[in-house]
Amino acid sequence: MPIAARLTDVHKTYQVGEVEVPALRGVDVEIEEGEFVSFAGPSGSGKTTLLNLLGALDVPTRGTVEVGGRATAGLSPATLADFRNRHLGFVFQTFNLIPVLTALENVEFPLQLLGIKEAAERRRRVEALLEEVGLAGLGDRRPSELSGGQQQRVAVARALIKEPTLVLADEPTANLDSGTALEIITLMKEMNARRGTTFIFSTHDRLVMEHARRLIRLRDGRIEDEERRGGDGDGV
Amino acid sequence: MTAMESETGHLGLTLKAAFRLAWRNLARSRRRTWITASTVALAVLLLQLVISVIIDLERQSFDNLIDYQTAHAKVFAAGYYGEREEFPLDRVLGDPARVRAVIAEVAGVAATTPRLSFSAQLSDGSEQLPVTGIGIDLQGSDADVFRIPQAVVAGTYLQPGEDGLLLGADLAKLFPVAVGDWLTVLAKTRGGAYEALDLPVTGLISTGNPLIDGTALMLPLDTAERMLDMEGMVTEVAVRFRPSAREVATLTRLRRRLEEVPGMDVRSWKEIEESFIALTQMKRTGQTVFLSLFVLMALVGITNTILMATFERTREIGALMAIGLRPAGVRRLFLAEGAMTGLAGGVLGSLLALGLIGWLATKGIDFSAMFGDMDIGYPVSNVVYPALKVFWMLGVMAITAVLATLAALYPAARASRLDPAEALRHV
Repeated sequence: MPIAARLTDVHKTYQVGEVEVPALRGVDVEIEEGEFVSFAGPSGSGKTTLLNLLGALDVPTRGTVEVGGRATAGLSPATLADFRNRHLGFVFQTFNLIPVLTALENVEFPLQLLGIKEAAERRRRVEALLEEVGLAGLGDRRPSELSGGQQQRVAVARALIKEPTLVLADEPTANLDSGTALEIITLMKEMNARRGTTFIFSTHDRLVMEHARRLIRLRDGRIEDEERRGGDGDGV
Repeated sequence: MTAMESETGHLGLTLKAAFRLAWRNLARSRRRTWITASTVALAVLLLQLVISVIIDLERQSFDNLIDYQTAHAKVFAAGYYGEREEFPLDRVLGDPARVRAVIAEVAGVAATTPRLSFSAQLSDGSEQLPVTGIGIDLQGSDADVFRIPQAVVAGTYLQPGEDGLLLGADLAKLFPVAVGDWLTVLAKTRGGAYEALDLPVTGLISTGNPLIDGTALMLPLDTAERMLDMEGMVTEVAVRFRPSAREVATLTRLRRRLEEVPGMDVRSWKEIEESFIALTQMKRTGQTVFLSLFVLMALVGITNTILMATFERTREIGALMAIGLRPAGVRRLFLAEGAMTGLAGGVLGSLLALGLIGWLATKGIDFSAMFGDMDIGYPVSNVVYPALKVFWMLGVMAITAVLATLAALYPAARASRLDPAEALRHV
């Protein structure tokens, strides 16, 4: 399978005042297209840093990050933004939908940024995807009129609408009750299976991580161990 | 990615999308937006009101000059105009009747009148003051061109066949003299001899024009001619245009027509009062700039409001950046919010101004109640009728929106420089 993302000897150090805080201390990992991968580990293990680097939201202090065969180092903020727009989808712990836009408009927004001018074409794609994520008929609602689970479904749709190389989800279930969390992780899995989109998510929730087909455990900024599951990896 | 997407390319946030988002975000903090826009509106209202007053002050000033001092144009003998402040009585019009006859045929001309201006001293026996003497034609023609009869505030206008003086009201106060008092006019004749003439004050005039009210005395033209030994001669022929006539075109026709009378020099009121008009324009610019400071201060409110919005929406900005909004797109978003707040304030202030100016335009503002006899720097009467000029009104609105956009520049630039990862961590 082609490589969706590759991290080679990635180090990331944050400067907090005069103190240097290492967040990643040499991470090597390759993610193939179509994988459903989870980074797991306790707080401070480097999960979010890793996702930020993969998401071109941050650059490594040392080492290289490649997404879709392209290194993210040395790119200008505008180029990085374009890169994220074309190749990456994000699902956040706190949903981070734009509160003044309806569900439909939130999902449509990345398409506008992509420069798809025909509103009818955008709407057609958005409505089809909203139906696919189980939000048919809720497109006119604003985030404040949706439940947490529904908001996260909108976020998943927003991440998927541009058919990205990678969808990155940082603790996508942490703000949801366990039943809703399971629904969201199941939805992500379905989308991975149906569309072949690569998903990388972080979690410290044992129940959620059980659903990953590949589980990479992090501790103190290093990969502690890695586990590949056969079959559809739908938990134990 | 589909082929279509890669072909259309990334355009970032379109202006339309930015304004739509900005509109919704402004509606989200309705109270804050309202307060900020209201502050701008108040400043704009003040600016529009003062501009409308200035417009009328200028109009009244110019009307005043035409009505009491310059008419629409004056015809002099060649060589007089350049030295007019010296009153060169050797460069005069020898045949004013012919000049007037020629001018009367020019389309657009309503009336003409001859005048004889000279330098004089006025004395009540103990005080002596320098004045400008003006001999005026009492056979109806001066009153056809100038509005002196309407400016008489005490006594009466000069009557044909009667000798007397019309005195500027402020000049009268300096002696002081009243209607019926006698004064001595001292002047050099055309030949250079001194001549004195005792005349009664028949009336006092108040025009609002300091030059007339403070330094002018008027006497019958034939009396002035006799006194200066200049029978049949005048220093100028003043011309009034018809109200419907186009000024520049009439002036051109007048000049062309007078080419047939050699040695004539036609000057429009704008030429005669060139320095006053320049001063008025400078004053208008100065006042507008000064008042714009109020608007600028109100616009600082926009800077503050947008800055607060960027703080509050830090995580949202991070999310937008993560989705792929370029820094320039973030900037555009907040600039649009600034522009819309400014435009809302500008439109609201202008609408309020429209109502207020409309009301004041019929009612008038009595400046005498505010300033008394104080010289406000414009030769006008005391009641001002604020006037509306669409150009100014739209101009102020447009400038307010542009300045509001500039006011949002700092917070917008700050937001666009946010690090998306840090912004997403913001609590």
